[in-house]
Amino acid sequence: MWRACQSERHLGQYYTLPTSHLHTIFPHGLPARYQQQVKTFNEGCVMVRQPALELISYLKAADYSKPAVRYLLYGLKGSGKTMSLCHTIHYCSTQGWLVLHIPDAHLWVKNCKELLPSSYHTSRFDQPIEASNWLRNFRTTNERFLSKIKLRQRYTWTKRESTEKGSPLGELVDMGVSRVKSSSDVVGAVLKELRLQAAETEESEGFRLAVAIDGVNSLWGRTTIKKEDKSPVAPEELTLIHNLRKMIDNNWCGGAVIATLSQTGSLYSPSSAYLPKELLGEEGFDSMDPFIPVPVSNYSEKEFESCYLYYLDRHWLQHPHSENEGKKEIIFLSNRNPSVLERLCAFL
Amino acid sequence: MAAHTLNIYMLSLGRMHCHIYGRNVHKALNRATYATALSTNNSSPNKGFPDRGSRGPIIRRPRREEGEPRKDRMPVDQDWTAVYPTAAPFRPGSVPLPVRMGFPVKRGVPPEKKGNLELIKIPNFLHLTPTAIKKHCEAMKLFCTEWPSALDTNVKCDEHFPIKIECKDYVSAGTSIRNPSARIVNLRVSICPNYDYAMYLLTVLYHESWKTEAWESEKTVADMEEYSWEDSPSQKNALSTLVRMQIAGEVEGDAVRDKLLGRPEVQEYRESVIRLMNEGESESSILQYREAVKKLLKL
Repeated sequence: MWRACQSERHLGQYYTLPTSHLHTIFPHGLPARYQQQVKTFNEGCVMVRQPALELISYLKAADYSKPAVRYLLYGLKGSGKTMSLCHTIHYCSTQGWLVLHIPDAHLWVKNCKELLPSSYHTSRFDQPIEASNWLRNFRTTNERFLSKIKLRQRYTWTKRESTEKGSPLGELVDMGVSRVKSSSDVVGAVLKELRLQAAETEESEGFRLAVAIDGVNSLWGRTTIKKEDKSPVAPEELTLIHNLRKMIDNNWCGGAVIATLSQTGSLYSPSSAYLPKELLGEEGFDSMDPFIPVPVSNYSEKEFESCYLYYLDRHWLQHPHSENEGKKEIIFLSNRNPSVLERLCAFL
Repeated sequence: MAAHTLNIYMLSLGRMHCHIYGRNVHKALNRATYATALSTNNSSPNKGFPDRGSRGPIIRRPRREEGEPRKDRMPVDQDWTAVYPTAAPFRPGSVPLPVRMGFPVKRGVPPEKKGNLELIKIPNFLHLTPTAIKKHCEAMKLFCTEWPSALDTNVKCDEHFPIKIECKDYVSAGTSIRNPSARIVNLRVSICPNYDYAMYLLTVLYHESWKTEAWESEKTVADMEEYSWEDSPSQKNALSTLVRMQIAGEVEGDAVRDKLLGRPEVQEYRESVIRLMNEGESESSILQYREAVKKLLKL
């Protein structure tokens, strides 16, 4: 597939995501403004940029019998971290990997409408709505794996309900979507099964697992969720976060963990922070260590030209001065930051 | 011409710039005018005052006339210290200067001083004219004693008073009256003539510092001045990763651990982590860390 052959020659050029992929691979993954752009232009075009290519080259070169390597995308606000992550996920998906995409981990630590005490572990808390939403999207993304992967263990949910050993993963996921109360535990079970089974080789029905987390710094920060007695809930007391942290550890093989830092949704962190240690904190850094940080910067000259020409080509820029003088002003105003550029061009 | 268009473009984009990250500051761009079908005309005896119904009109004492502001009656050679003897807020009627301050709205000029809150808010030094300071000095002289005649040279001053304290004051225009570098006070000590005594003091201090107190053993990781990689979570992570990478064949044990620690990639990784922790983060230290991890994980 030609997507796998993207190389430095294609730097700065756009490639189109097929519409079917947009619905299956990215039911919840793309940034909101990009989704609006896709709707407006009737197509999803992603620019090939250096950080994503670098990540893809690491993924190609890595040895999957060794423990999972952690990659961390970091950079200034609006420089394209989530889009690079989506590009990498698309690559993994087209290569037949199983993609575990958590679109915004910050959503799991704030604004929780329903918090249930966990049935499995007394001191933890469940978040049924978030868990069931995520399971639904997971099901859409990884349809083909759901019947292939069989459970290694028996899971008992209540006195009468249990999922037997050897049943397909799809059954577990369906149960999680329908029985909302135990959906957080289902998520935990799914993650565990995938972690154990990813280690197998390709021949024996194995698969490669890509864990993609956007906003990984929320796992070690603070939450705004409060218990009934108004005391704050620590992240590790949430079942979803607890299980996700286990995925980030490199004690499993056969895949990779790709994460991005995000200050935008994060809680209690200064808005100028963007470097890994600032946003991850001591605990986060120690958990992720050793990881490979991949910097994402603003557009280079060539990338900016490419983006500008794309907008002109789509007739998005209507102002008569767009060709020459307006361009210099836009460069000045946006400093070639992708998201600021996109918002500025929205008015023209 | 180009500059002109740039200006207008900038102004229009400036308003829009506020929209950029979702904060809609200038909402009042469309002012809706409302036309009511009913006209409201409850005539009340007091014009401009709210209708008090059956309670009756508000009785106010008639306001007396304002006098002439003081500035109009000031002779040129007056005593300014009588106008502002102490620190006081800005009074437009007492300051005879045509001062203007504020933002010029709609291509206008800065507003005048009458009723100007900006001038009242900022600190002023109108009470500290040279004449006023002279008067302060004259008053303080009564309480001062003579400078000792024996201390007429700098050398003699240094001899008797070896410790000097320097304070710096700053005057600058800015958003705050405080200047952070004014907080730095220098204390200078020159070596006193009794060299041997000084040496003795230093030796005693040196030996004292070697004595370990009982409570020092309770020092925790958070108290450490510098980051040490040994026994840190980072070292444990790195070792466990390497062990897992090599799995089959190797026997666990101290020998393996030491062998792993001795490898050049591990040393490089250790250097980069120490640099990150001690120096703080920067683009270059993160890139160094990245190269070290790549070598460690053999990518």
